[in-house]
Amino acid sequence: MKKNKRTRFGSAMRGGKARLWGGLLLTAVAATGVGPSLAQDNPPAFPGKDWPMYGGSYNNQRYSLLKDVTVANAHQLQSKWIFHVDGITGLETVPVVMNGVMYVGGFNQVDALDARTGNIIWQFRRKPANGGHQRGAAVANNKVYITTDDGHVLALDARTGAQLWESKGGPKTTFTGGAPLVANGKVIVSGNRFSVASPGGFVQAYDAETGDYKWTWTALPAAGDPAANSWGGHAAGGGPIWLSGAYDPELKMVYYGTGQPNPQWNGKGRPGDNLYSDSEVALDVDTGKLKWYFQNTPHDTHDYDSTEIIMLIDTMFQGKPRKLAVQANRNGFFYILDRTNGQFLQGTKFVSRVDWGSLDPKTGKATPDPAHEPTVKGTTTCPSTAGATNWPSPAYNPVTGMFYVAASEGCGINTLASSVPDSETSYVESPDELNAWQIYTRALDLKTGATKWDYKQIRSNHYGPGMVTTAGGIVFSPEQFGQISVLDARSGRSLWHFNTGDLITASPITYSVNGKQFFAVASGTNIVTFGLPDKAPATEKKP
Amino acid sequence: MKRSLAAIFLLSLAILPAQAQRRQAPVGPPNPFWGNAQAVTDGEQIYNQHCTACHGVAGGSGEIGPAILSDTEGLRGQLSDGEIVDVTRAGVPGTVMPAWTGRLADDDILKIGAYLHSLRGTAIDNPLPGDVAHGQEIFFGKGQCSSCHMMNGKGALKGPDLTNIAAERKSPQIVDDLTKAQHKIYGDGGAHLRALPTMDTYDPVHIVLKTGKPLDGVLLNQDSYSVQMIGYDNELHLLDRADIKTVTKNPALMPTDYDKRLTKDEFTDLMAFLSRQGRKAPAAAPGRGAANPE
Repeated sequence: MKKNKRTRFGSAMRGGKARLWGGLLLTAVAATGVGPSLAQDNPPAFPGKDWPMYGGSYNNQRYSLLKDVTVANAHQLQSKWIFHVDGITGLETVPVVMNGVMYVGGFNQVDALDARTGNIIWQFRRKPANGGHQRGAAVANNKVYITTDDGHVLALDARTGAQLWESKGGPKTTFTGGAPLVANGKVIVSGNRFSVASPGGFVQAYDAETGDYKWTWTALPAAGDPAANSWGGHAAGGGPIWLSGAYDPELKMVYYGTGQPNPQWNGKGRPGDNLYSDSEVALDVDTGKLKWYFQNTPHDTHDYDSTEIIMLIDTMFQGKPRKLAVQANRNGFFYILDRTNGQFLQGTKFVSRVDWGSLDPKTGKATPDPAHEPTVKGTTTCPSTAGATNWPSPAYNPVTGMFYVAASEGCGINTLASSVPDSETSYVESPDELNAWQIYTRALDLKTGATKWDYKQIRSNHYGPGMVTTAGGIVFSPEQFGQISVLDARSGRSLWHFNTGDLITASPITYSVNGKQFFAVASGTNIVTFGLPDKAPATEKKP
Repeated sequence: MKRSLAAIFLLSLAILPAQAQRRQAPVGPPNPFWGNAQAVTDGEQIYNQHCTACHGVAGGSGEIGPAILSDTEGLRGQLSDGEIVDVTRAGVPGTVMPAWTGRLADDDILKIGAYLHSLRGTAIDNPLPGDVAHGQEIFFGKGQCSSCHMMNGKGALKGPDLTNIAAERKSPQIVDDLTKAQHKIYGDGGAHLRALPTMDTYDPVHIVLKTGKPLDGVLLNQDSYSVQMIGYDNELHLLDRADIKTVTKNPALMPTDYDKRLTKDEFTDLMAFLSRQGRKAPAAAPGRGAANPE
């Protein structure tokens, strides 16, 4: 294992405050005899040997610089080890890896594993056992950050699992299963019901060194915010925030997507855009203040959450070098925004049928089609409420210029229980074969949004897992029913496949230890890993 | 055999709804005597006078009534501490378990409940008396505990983290850990494990690599091909067996004569401190956080 270097400790000491912290840490070290706290100021722009957070790096591109596994040798991949996670079924966690240690997080628990062998190094369990679907931990500053089912963030020593702190202060609430995001000295978490007064989504930050509460941003507008007038007098509700965000260290903004307004499919009682539901939002990392928002689906009546992963890409776009925020949205449009200010640049359909509404080509503002409002009789609408894509993480390969996404073709029928405003609602998968749901691993040209190739995940119809792409020119793409394929990133050609024997609905990662590249993904109750064959053992001379 | 299994299954189906209903019954006010050392002592005496004949010493095994503390056969895990008090008060109709209301003062029933709670709970449910602040000084000072253990982020990495020790162990166990040799539990005997265990023995090892480089530290795990250890350099070392020349186990680091190293008062106060370190598990599990944007 590569040793942590003191130089990295030094890198944490930029700026006055950081210097002060460094001083305090050194004092603490002298007092307790523990080695230096090995701060990692900013993780690499792209994941290499480590995979320290849910999206691999702040930009969420899931593009790894590792290239041991290539188009030429991917057919040699083999399973390396399997770890059974006790007490959680249907794992949705994305393991994180730092310095050869894999951390498999859940609510109230972490397993720290030797990432080469799967051997347990330590386990952390806080009572009560939860078993709920939580999407993982984050590792930074020599600490592992996890969330608890009673609304706390915990920091554990990455080497031993010793509990360093439990978050302090701030409003008491509970979190959704999104993995924590560590950015600019803060641990950032999210939830879907902030308080009785603000029964909707929120993003919350705690100090990454001390656990002290810092700020909360609520997806439902506070009193005095003109956005509060976008509910037609109806009490605002919804805007849940399910997934981990992205972070731009230069702009000092975090990016999150918010979920649907409530009541979910019945918009009669809440005329207006219903801000800030179904929006991509940029928040100041230090204060939590809203810098900009872009609402993908105004006045949503189909549960088109905007909580899908927001990806940050810096590239030439429409003739200019730009900082983009890219999202394949549940509503079927592939959005490209300028992430400095939220300006709409492009929106294209990435599934074959999108009939719920249309976009203004200049502003990107959507106009829902009244003919597709849910009715008592039932209204068929495309995409379905399950979405053109959902929580599976997409990936972007800057070499191919392609954006890879788990695209779900299909329509759904939304039904109102009665014509009374706020009545109960439901939805079903469209029963006719033409509109049956089908998932593809779909490669989109980033610049045009056009489909470059499709890989049909036969039998997969629902949500499915995400993917990872690498400098080796491949896309590692698991499927809903346990199949994993490695695809040629340029053509979508299948190079290798493996059946894990259980459902997969989490996104995979790649990492390396001692120069050996691994892939890992949660399947059912297990973490399953893959790598190339070891070299033949050297012949030992017998004494 | 098959038939008897089926019968048990059917029986359990018949019992389940009643149990489920009982679980949902509103829980009364918490027992005011929980954690009160005097009440626990009183409760033990009252229990020994009235309860041992059926339920055994310390609720361990009963000739007539069920064991109260056994994991598999008794009431543990089936009845909450509050429900045990309710059953004690009202009895179990149709069995030899009488209603103790009327036979014992209600405070005495609650004291029995506090005693059983102390047996069932961990140290934090029944912390030991003493000067907690002074115990903390001993932990980080004369006792040198923090030269091996961490507590709330302060201390060292050679031994297990003690931040939550009082929620994980009972007070007598903690006392034994500090005063009796061989306080470690080596394996679970013939237990049928349900999951991979961590290696919690914290064996100190001296490793010599094939390069000749020595490494000293505490073993965290090992198998036929690899070794995981935390070095005294405070680094995690993940080693291949192929790179290792020798692994030598050294004597345990944990002193077990703290009752002699410390004065009586110092030891008492250290125990008062340790038996309060941890987070009380909530009485009822909060709902599972919803995960999916469905």
